[in-house]
Amino acid sequence: MKTMLKTGLSAAAVSTLLFAGYPASAETIFLSTQARPIEEAEAMRNTVLGAFDGEVDYIPQEDGPFLNRILAEAEAGDVSIGLVGALHGNFPVLAGADALAPVDDIMSSLGDRKLIGTFVELGKLGTDKQHYVPWMQASYVMAANREALQYLPEGADVMALTYDQLAAWSANIQAATGERKLGFPAGRKGLMHRFFQGYLYPSFTDSVVTEYRGEKASAMWASFRDLWKTVNPRSTSYDFMQEPLLAGEVWVAFDHTARLMDAFNQRPDDFIAFPAPAGPEGRGFMPVVAGLAVPANGPDRAAAAKLIDYMTQPETQIATLKAIGFFPAIEMELPDDLPRGVQIAGAAVTAQSASADANPSLLPVGLGDKGREFNKVFMDTFQLIVLRNADIDETLDRQAGNLRKLMEETGAPCWAPDEPSDGACPVK
Amino acid sequence: MTDATQEDLQDKRNLLDRLLPRWSVGQWLFATICLILCLWVLLPIYLLVLSAFSPRDAVFAWPKAYLPFDISTDTIAFFFGVRGVFSAFLNSVMVAALTMVISIGLGAPAGYALARFRFRGKDSFRLLIVMTRAFPIAILALPLTVTFIKLGLYDTVFGVALVHSALALPFAVLISSSLFMGIPFELEEAAWTMGCTRFQAFWRVVMPIATPGLAAAAIFAFVISWNEVFAATILTLQHPTLTAFLLTTLSESPLYFRFAGGFFLVVPALVFIFAVRKYLFSMWGIANR
Repeated sequence: MKTMLKTGLSAAAVSTLLFAGYPASAETIFLSTQARPIEEAEAMRNTVLGAFDGEVDYIPQEDGPFLNRILAEAEAGDVSIGLVGALHGNFPVLAGADALAPVDDIMSSLGDRKLIGTFVELGKLGTDKQHYVPWMQASYVMAANREALQYLPEGADVMALTYDQLAAWSANIQAATGERKLGFPAGRKGLMHRFFQGYLYPSFTDSVVTEYRGEKASAMWASFRDLWKTVNPRSTSYDFMQEPLLAGEVWVAFDHTARLMDAFNQRPDDFIAFPAPAGPEGRGFMPVVAGLAVPANGPDRAAAAKLIDYMTQPETQIATLKAIGFFPAIEMELPDDLPRGVQIAGAAVTAQSASADANPSLLPVGLGDKGREFNKVFMDTFQLIVLRNADIDETLDRQAGNLRKLMEETGAPCWAPDEPSDGACPVK
Repeated sequence: MTDATQEDLQDKRNLLDRLLPRWSVGQWLFATICLILCLWVLLPIYLLVLSAFSPRDAVFAWPKAYLPFDISTDTIAFFFGVRGVFSAFLNSVMVAALTMVISIGLGAPAGYALARFRFRGKDSFRLLIVMTRAFPIAILALPLTVTFIKLGLYDTVFGVALVHSALALPFAVLISSSLFMGIPFELEEAAWTMGCTRFQAFWRVVMPIATPGLAAAAIFAFVISWNEVFAATILTLQHPTLTAFLLTTLSESPLYFRFAGGFFLVVPALVFIFAVRKYLFSMWGIANR
């Protein structure tokens, strides 16, 4: 038995020697929550980063392990990650744990680039330091199968729909085909909460937080509950709308451009993209911004700065757009030779932000690590009112209480479209 | 004419008799259940393989083609081209092999002790072993990563193998203890009376009987390690295992990649189990005795 134990231990020891001794690499580790799908990750490595003069190991990761890893490295004081790329919502957690080194110096060295002002402001996370450099942007739009267009209600322009027209359209489709073919990404990994925060609430109440309950909000939830009667019931399991669109289960859908791109790219002649509908308070929509940040005490700050410089150059921004469907975070003209899918989505994104009644809504700011709880308030309200048919006013009263508590805990001031506030954003 | 029809009928009956074995109702029921169980396991694998080798649009087509008319290796070929897949595959194999060695190296002696010796706290020890599985590794993620970074085990094959061994050990201990319990103590005693030392008796008498069962426990450890995602994801950065490498990207990739990736993950495990299946059967043989 002793020999056996010894054999086991020595085998383990030998393997330690054999396998644990990886040579320390000089390449910059670029950890990101974006471009996770395998094809996009490959495109990032080969196309986008291929032309970079230096060694980069691009590692895409889900939000959980991503945060865990950066926080763990910061806590252990042994940082191997050179550059991190993530959506705006992930940065407050990292900045809160002092895991990021401010990038003001890198930012000022990018002088010639016209980074979009709103995003630069977002990158400060409500402080006076720049925590991330805007990397790329996207938005949520609607997509439709061309077959659905024949059922558009009379007089409706698909590029300038209203929520009433969307409801009529969806009802027409149901009447004609006998199936509920409007779809929303309300699955576990879907981005449905953004629909409420950036689209429905701003369109109906011109607010996200302040007017959480009230007449306008009640009317909005009542009409959305009606709309849901024509929505495909499998919506609660959809994460990426490109799949039900390609499968033909859904003809009209709302989702993130990157999560529709596959449908546009695979069958560009069958699908169109168009702006989200407008409500009484305008066409609410939400631009999404991703940023690049440098971990505190990172291995090679100069290399990270060089990589940020490379990633924000116009040529790289176009390459990124072609590879993963995120639009430039700098002000620039888009070339004509883009892939069909990008063209389709890009037209809708432009039409949406340029529409006369546009009512842009920003991503939540200042919630710190409470972003998830903020989303949960909206999803819980949706589940109670729409899926479980609960009383609207009663539910809104209760959820407004939860929201108020959350806002007071974090002390986050209002963001557009709510009026700026001193101190925590109030909930009426 | 009637005779002819009668003969026809007779022929048909003979034919049926020849085609179908004469089984009792119980045997038919047994066969049906066997068939259902086989389909239960094989059908998803068949569909997975079929979809992995279909052209991309066919994956979304409905109704599905259930026979392989249209073969395409596009998606699978893409996987072989992805940078890092091969090294991730090697890492997976090394981690799984190390896990096997460690969990059997530590688990078999523990199992032997549980089976042969009486000692204070034996039952609570047995319970404690199972308890190690009671803590979800997710809540240990941050402290575990911090500790591994400090120890220098972070992002190494050995580090991941250690965690996997911790997960596989309870099974290794319990399987091997029931295995040693199934081997009569008298055999060892007989060996002692013939002049063997305690260790020689174990090595020459007990081990040959126990080897197939231990091999089965090792396979179990291999499979646990091969399938484990979470620890492998958080504890590696540049040297992930295949499961960690693929699963993080697959769950959000288009459907056809998920099929191809599933195929990619399933096949090596299947090949391994086929290679060692005779040991598995012999373990069950011992367990039945």
